[in-house]
Amino acid sequence: MDHGNERELVERCRQGDDGAFEELVDRYKDLVFALIARTVPDRSRAEDIAQDVFLRVHRGLPYFRGEARLSTWIYRIVANVCLQDQTRARGTVSLDDERGAQLAPSASDRQFSDFELRDRLEKAIARLPANYRLLIAAHYLKGVQYEDLAEALQLPLGTVKTQLYRAKHQLRRLLETDFR
Amino acid sequence: MFCDEALDAVDAIAAGDLTPDGRVAAHLATCPNCAAALVSARALEQLLARRPVPAAPPQFTSRTLVRVRRARWRSEQFLDLGFNVAIGAIVIAVVAGIWMLVHRSGLAAVGNDAVDLFGRGLVTFARRVTPSLPLYAGATALLVTALGIWWWAERDAAL
Repeated sequence: MDHGNERELVERCRQGDDGAFEELVDRYKDLVFALIARTVPDRSRAEDIAQDVFLRVHRGLPYFRGEARLSTWIYRIVANVCLQDQTRARGTVSLDDERGAQLAPSASDRQFSDFELRDRLEKAIARLPANYRLLIAAHYLKGVQYEDLAEALQLPLGTVKTQLYRAKHQLRRLLETDFR
Repeated sequence: MFCDEALDAVDAIAAGDLTPDGRVAAHLATCPNCAAALVSARALEQLLARRPVPAAPPQFTSRTLVRVRRARWRSEQFLDLGFNVAIGAIVIAVVAGIWMLVHRSGLAAVGNDAVDLFGRGLVTFARRVTPSLPLYAGATALLVTALGIWWWAERDAAL
């Protein structure tokens, strides 16, 4: 979506055009939902949080100055909402996850199917700190570049890269030890 | 080159952000631990890239819009309530202020006389008007009829 169209859509939303806001939700729902669903395992909770994001977008549109791209601004809101949600949920580790980790096959049986491998990966990602989880979720979404992440999180580009490398390093260690 | 240095570069190399230069490449070729770490980092990179992208549920947009409308309605209700409470408070304050002013300045006594005078005037007026009441009623009926005809004619002209 080019900048001109984006501005026009924002302007229509500001004027109280419900159709324009519906268009905005339609355009960004997959990005927002994918990001959240990758960090929050419970699908209905993810939908709830995604709706929260659009509620904040609706409230914040009158104050959106258009200095950043709309997608970047929305991504920033997603990051804030997700991090707040993680802070609230901090310390509550799902028993199912723990049990899953304990019941993981032994080292002698490492021929996992793709599904099992993905399951291990998801469990390992769930163990990462919230900011790392968000970075991993966002970076591997189609079209989200380091630059977009840096702008959205208001971090220097180098910091974003370093945090991503650290996240992946931690993930590898988790996969090699706890989730073998 | 130490393993620590090479291991620090492994994730950047696997992500394609860094091309191993001679020194790092040489170390990776000779150190089995670091080479294994690079293989593992590349495998993770592929795994993450293949991670499924969850799509929003089909009714997501409509459900979100319902929630937005509900939130907007609530905030408007809240605003209305606040406005009404503020108006009520202002009216009470003004009435209380007038009441205090009237009582402290002694205007209340003068006010009572004025009310008496006004009441007596009203009674006198009613006594004088009563005999001519049918005349006034007739005039009012004529006026109302004339206004009704005028309104009916205007409505027809507009159609």
